Amino acid sequence: MVEHEPIALTPTPDNPLFRQTYELDRSEGAVINQMRATHIEQFPDPLIEVPAEFRRSIFVGSIDALLNWGRKSSVFPLMMGLACCSFEMIASAMSRWDLSRFGMEVFRASPRQADLMIVSGTVTWKMAPVVRRLYDQMAEPRWVISQGVCATSGGPYYESYSVVPGVNKIIPVDVYVPGCPPRPDALIYGIMQLHEKIKRYSLAGRAAGRE
Amino acid sequence: MTIVLGGEQVASVIEAITPGSVTGHDSSAAWVRAETWPAVARGLHDRPEADFKFLNSVTGVDYIDHFVIVYHLTSLGHNHSAVIKIRCGEAREDPVVPSAVPVWRGADLQEREVYDLMGIRFEGHPNLKRVMLWEGFPGHPHRKDFLR
Amino acid sequence: MTDGFLDNAFFRNIYCNLASSGSDRCAGGGPFGDGLLPPGWEWLAFLVTAFVTVFVVVNGALMAVNLYIWGERRLLGRLQGRLGPNRWGPFGLLTPIADLIKVLSKEDIVPAAADRLVYSLAPVLLVVPVLLAFAVIPFGSSTWAANLNVGVLYLIAVLSVESFAPITAAWGSQNRYAMFGGLRAVALLVSYELPLVLSLIGVLMIAGSLSLVDIVNAQDVPFALVQPLGFLVFLIGSVAEIQRAPFDLSEAESELVGGYHTDYSGIRWGLFQAGEFMSTMVSGAIIATVFLSGWRGFDFLPSHAWFFIKFAGVLFVMTWIRATLPRLRIDQITSFAWKGLLPLAAVNLLASAVLSLIWPRPSVGELWAMAAVNVVVAAAAIYVLGQFGPKPGERPRPAVAPALGATGREGAA
Repeated sequence: MVEHEPIALTPTPDNPLFRQTYELDRSEGAVINQMRATHIEQFPDPLIEVPAEFRRSIFVGSIDALLNWGRKSSVFPLMMGLACCSFEMIASAMSRWDLSRFGMEVFRASPRQADLMIVSGTVTWKMAPVVRRLYDQMAEPRWVISQGVCATSGGPYYESYSVVPGVNKIIPVDVYVPGCPPRPDALIYGIMQLHEKIKRYSLAGRAAGRE
Repeated sequence: MTIVLGGEQVASVIEAITPGSVTGHDSSAAWVRAETWPAVARGLHDRPEADFKFLNSVTGVDYIDHFVIVYHLTSLGHNHSAVIKIRCGEAREDPVVPSAVPVWRGADLQEREVYDLMGIRFEGHPNLKRVMLWEGFPGHPHRKDFLR
Repeated sequence: MTDGFLDNAFFRNIYCNLASSGSDRCAGGGPFGDGLLPPGWEWLAFLVTAFVTVFVVVNGALMAVNLYIWGERRLLGRLQGRLGPNRWGPFGLLTPIADLIKVLSKEDIVPAAADRLVYSLAPVLLVVPVLLAFAVIPFGSSTWAANLNVGVLYLIAVLSVESFAPITAAWGSQNRYAMFGGLRAVALLVSYELPLVLSLIGVLMIAGSLSLVDIVNAQDVPFALVQPLGFLVFLIGSVAEIQRAPFDLSEAESELVGGYHTDYSGIRWGLFQAGEFMSTMVSGAIIATVFLSGWRGFDFLPSHAWFFIKFAGVLFVMTWIRATLPRLRIDQITSFAWKGLLPLAAVNLLASAVLSLIWPRPSVGELWAMAAVNVVVAAAAIYVLGQFGPKPGERPRPAVAPALGATGREGAA
């Protein structure tokens, strides 16, 4: 067995690592605490509002139909897994369920290139600023699926000290998929519902409830 | 299969290394006085008859009127394991235990986690910060008196 | 001015129908007699013809890349036991079109810290050289946009410009991940440019010309057989040059988010993707032309069909490689280029030089003789090189990391 020299350890207040990172941790904690204090109300569900005068316009209607068909046919999900639900998300992209049939196998690692954020699993308050930032970095038009009860309402961790009670407190959610965790079938059903929703977007009418 | 040393055996081993440090034992664990813990830990790690090179886990327990820290140790050379319990002070206020990080580096994150969730300070720990929760979180949530 | 272009059947047909009196090559004009334009307007005929040719080639390339993306996604799906895109349109053929519409209508984000000019220039730097490279590729026995007498040199020059794109994108987007990706890409491109070009020189010595059309005409025996080592080095080198798996570490998603195009969204990112797939197509077309005797084949199929069969075969192999091999580390990749491919390319060059001294103008029989000699040389070279590398199952001993102190950053203040 290899014997190592005993390593000299400096206790907490004198440790350079502690001093260098503590201020950073404090500022991050302040952001989380502020988020926790302000994000009480949930974002309203994004609704589709097509103004009446545009609904009859053939030109806008046909452009819309084309754009919405294109958008719904190539929804690139964001490569983001938070908890156990992410394994169901991964399984839905694998050969048995195969999201690529819908042109969705292109999981993008960069939020700039993704269209759909699948919030797969428990969102803790410590992760909440990161989720929010990823959502902010995504380019419009963007959609959010809340997968599983933890992301939808906190689920078994409802009223826990560290879990966000529903991801819709920090970002607007388009489709909720219940289950703990939902099977890939359920997630794919949620994605089909999102396709139906995307088909009803309009050039002129923006989705309500966005900031 | 690892031989699980009973409390009495562990107590006698510790007593042989550092006399006067054991306060008692039960069927599974030896109780060690907090002030002598650094010397006991060093001895358990270094002495060939003990040879506890591996720290399995660090646990904190809230007994309402006091806190207890439990160290699970294993010797890979002798293939035996031991449980050490340390009582942190007489009351709930400011429980303190000497850190085991100078002996077992693996105790680093586990002691930080115990500090984070139970609020037990580990004296001499090189980087005692919260690890699960964020700085600025009110209180220590795994204490029995923590209310949301 | 126009004589060189009149070898091209497509060009000649349009030009001779427009110009009243071209060269001797279109004596008698087109079906409309002497041509539609009055005498003295040949420049306009040339302009219109050139524009139409370029339009057809560029748009053909852009449509073909859609088809190729669909094919690759379907093939990757089948290779991984999946179905691949099959919902939108017949057999999922409209999926790349949907991607195009989506990408076009997506928000175009320019980061606040980005260098706007450089940031906007990078996708163009990737796409334009690839489109330019399509100009000299002969798609059939008399179908090409231009038959340059320095065709191979032109290809190498134009495709080298492409290697500016990653570092430009990385610098422009002022992003750390992008910078890592860009620097890796530059290291990769610089390493593989040399064996790539060296492996082509053997072909040029045997063909005796830099023009791609002449190279195809010289291939009575496909150069993949005459130059097996050169073919191998060029195949591996071009897979590395277009940064596909297993050489895609410049956009390694598990480490670098998206690599050099991390910060690109919308159509700019779409241009990057299209450029990457088009450069794959260009590489496939170059391999099919230079090593697999291009449009030449047997008479029961037209020359274009032969070209596309070989082209599709090369693309299939590239997709197969992508689906099979895992990604390598940067040190493994660069050492493979410098210690593996470069010596092999040099051996190939030496063997070709000696053989072309012996047979300066090889006939078919002499080409077969060259093939036999070169196969032996290739096997010997690969065997000898294999003796220097790590044996199968052998792992290099990892360097022992210095023991870290409690801070993890000993020496930092």
